[in-house]
Amino acid sequence: MSKKMTGNNDAIKKEVRKILAEVAEIPEKKIKDDADFYEDIGIDSMQGLEIFASIEKKYKIRIPEEKMPVTRSVVKVSELVAALIKKK
Amino acid sequence: MTRSVNVHHTVWDSRQIQEMLPQRYPFIMIDRVIKADRRTGKVVCVKNVTGNEGHFLGHFPDNPIMPGALILEAMGQAGILLYWLLRPEQAAKRPLYLMGTIKATFKRTVVPGDQLIIEVTKDKLLDNVGRILARAEVNGCLVMESTMSFGVIKKNG
Repeated sequence: MSKKMTGNNDAIKKEVRKILAEVAEIPEKKIKDDADFYEDIGIDSMQGLEIFASIEKKYKIRIPEEKMPVTRSVVKVSELVAALIKKK
Repeated sequence: MTRSVNVHHTVWDSRQIQEMLPQRYPFIMIDRVIKADRRTGKVVCVKNVTGNEGHFLGHFPDNPIMPGALILEAMGQAGILLYWLLRPEQAAKRPLYLMGTIKATFKRTVVPGDQLIIEVTKDKLLDNVGRILARAEVNGCLVMESTMSFGVIKKNG
């Protein structure tokens, strides 16, 4: 992966963590990149949907519905967002 | 939205709506469904507002205004009808519908004599959760728009 791409992914990760922290009402620093949204952080499925909706709005992308239940951590969401941005 | 809408066209009438919604009198906020499109994931509903409705006694004395919370309720019920359109088999099992996050903007007041046209469009729909975009108009003027997330829980587990 190029240095530029890694930098972009870090920026996306930061944004995803920020959105997750707002929705889950927990400090950003408590969120580990590989923590499962539902099992580890304890958000419910409606909050999960809100996170994806906020990310779509921020990056002007559409996240396929079938990807949502299986994309469950900051790192996984960031990878998906980066791939969707690249496709645009 | 309302330019192309024929309010006399009936997709689902009041009796059919009562069979689909879990709510009952005096809390059914949809009178008729005038458009239902599976392809675009959209329903358009009518709610006729009359001075006989009990909430006007107190909201407000001498100045009847439909509570915004009830317009949101009407949007939520339109969302349930949209769920019937898109997931009829699951809806027929009579799940519980839970309202989640609501973001709404109120634009104008709604008073007795108004006819609310409520358009609800699917944004996301997974097995047990969804998000809808809703608009309510009276006489072609926007009175409220909102986004709502909701949960769908199977009865008996």
